[in-house]
Amino acid sequence: MAAVGKPFGAMSIAEIQAGLAAKEFTAAEVASATISRIERDDAQMHAFLELTADMAADAAAKVDAAIAAGTFAEAGPLAGVPVGFKDNMNLLDTHTTCSSNMLANYVSPYTATCVEYALHAGALPMGKLNMDEFAFGSSTETSAFGPTLNPWDFQRVPGGSSGGSAAAVAAGLVPVALGSDTGGSIRQPASFCGIVGVKPTYGVVSRYGVVAFGSSLDQVGPFARSVEDAALALNAISGFDERDCTSQRADVDFTANLAEGVQGMRIGVVPAFMEADGLTEEVRARVAEAAQKLEGLGATLVDIELPNAKAAMSAYYVLGPCEAFSNLARFDSVRYGYCDPGHADLGAQYEASRAKGFGPEARRRIMLGSYLLSAGVYDTYYYPAQQVRTLITQDYDRAFQQVDCILTPVSPRTAFKFGEIGDPTQMYLSDMFTISINIAGNGGMSVPVGLGADTQLPVGVQLISPAFKDVNMFRAAAALESVYGPAPVAPQFAKED
Amino acid sequence: MTQHLTESDVRGIAEYVRIGMTEDEVAQMTVDLNAIIDSLAPITEYDLEGVEPTFHPIGALTNVMCEDLERGSFTQEVALLNAPKQQDGCFLIPSVLGDGGDR
Repeated sequence: MAAVGKPFGAMSIAEIQAGLAAKEFTAAEVASATISRIERDDAQMHAFLELTADMAADAAAKVDAAIAAGTFAEAGPLAGVPVGFKDNMNLLDTHTTCSSNMLANYVSPYTATCVEYALHAGALPMGKLNMDEFAFGSSTETSAFGPTLNPWDFQRVPGGSSGGSAAAVAAGLVPVALGSDTGGSIRQPASFCGIVGVKPTYGVVSRYGVVAFGSSLDQVGPFARSVEDAALALNAISGFDERDCTSQRADVDFTANLAEGVQGMRIGVVPAFMEADGLTEEVRARVAEAAQKLEGLGATLVDIELPNAKAAMSAYYVLGPCEAFSNLARFDSVRYGYCDPGHADLGAQYEASRAKGFGPEARRRIMLGSYLLSAGVYDTYYYPAQQVRTLITQDYDRAFQQVDCILTPVSPRTAFKFGEIGDPTQMYLSDMFTISINIAGNGGMSVPVGLGADTQLPVGVQLISPAFKDVNMFRAAAALESVYGPAPVAPQFAKED
Repeated sequence: MTQHLTESDVRGIAEYVRIGMTEDEVAQMTVDLNAIIDSLAPITEYDLEGVEPTFHPIGALTNVMCEDLERGSFTQEVALLNAPKQQDGCFLIPSVLGDGGDR
């Protein structure tokens, strides 16, 4: 192996690419050493469900060939960078399980666009990452294959649903991972694991080939330990895709204004959020401090109101299950997915297969969505939820007439312990600050701002941008990073080889 | 807590969504769903008179037509790759027309 102490997964994109360009190590070495490290260091944490060593070696060979040919500069923005993918993203010839028994044996016959774009950009695919079953959860505890542990404290959850992606990056196993976010599933685990996590504006990244949960809410985005790496990864995976009818033509360089600073920026703070029930003092203090730091760097803080945000939670838990109920109807035990053996009757085969294939939270959401869409009930919940969506969107429109981005907490608390939250309605509160952004469709990201004073666990702040002005939040995020530094590798994984 | 759903309602929904449930599961699901529906109350308490719904964050979705070009798609073999049961190049299901036929 190369003569560097730092594992490749703990390096930045720039460090890896500089080392490759200087021929200090090869992409093949990056791939094999990273696979070995994951095999060794992820055994207990369980971020990865499947490793793709052969695919990584093949991708590395292409990068090494480009270096040999003197064309490394054209090899792509992620050339030679180990990347992991949430297990709801199809990658040809890998299992794509959504952490569900329903798809335990499903092998992807095609590749999702976001994964394809990452590979086209030269990424080395390391494997597939654990998640809450079908992304229903905020802790990774609903994975049918066992939870992922928080790299900062194995007694605690990494957040969810993209918990495997966040843990892998926070532990320095990979510099970049992709996740998906329907109500906070990138931002909350990024906050719990102390890294950067980006949910771009709806339509920036293609959803084609990503197993659908809430089709009007789902959006793919990157995890990384620095704002720049997250921006580089988003550059690679974003872009128009004719296979997703909601994909937008937005040719944006997300790294464009990282160095600009926040001088002259107007940043909104929501007093009602800072006084919200359930927000812990240690998180509140860190978020308030981050706002002051931005002000110190020249930004103007503006108090704003999002008066309808309090309805976002109930709107989300109407819309999400309704869309999930519809999307999960496709699992019929006939074309793919779990099929319970020994049934002479098709109806009995459906019922047994779906009963055994789906876990408790998936069953709850399917049942709830079906109920909420039923005649008579639809007008009480579903239609009003879509009207509330209009109000929430108008709130953001009004706020963004006054400010360039908004700063809020990500999660009301730091990572909780396994089993600590058993009541589903309590678990849903994890997403109280993140879900209104999915409902309105604009961009949001989590940026680490140090540890909570009480728990000594990572705290993230959320930066929210207007739709398709994701560069605004990246600009403020880079300024915060100039104060707090890039995200550290979680201490127990930070030992150098 | 308001009783939005009875166990009988839950049995009906389970049948509709094709998820088999034991009596114990029906009882627990009834408790869980009633609690969750209770938590959705704020949505019913809003004054929404005259507010247009937004069904999608990209409001002005328009139909897109693509060029009429021949393109590759899954072969029959690939399409059947994940089928739990198959026969003669088809998905195989239990007989739906009474007894008989290959199982």
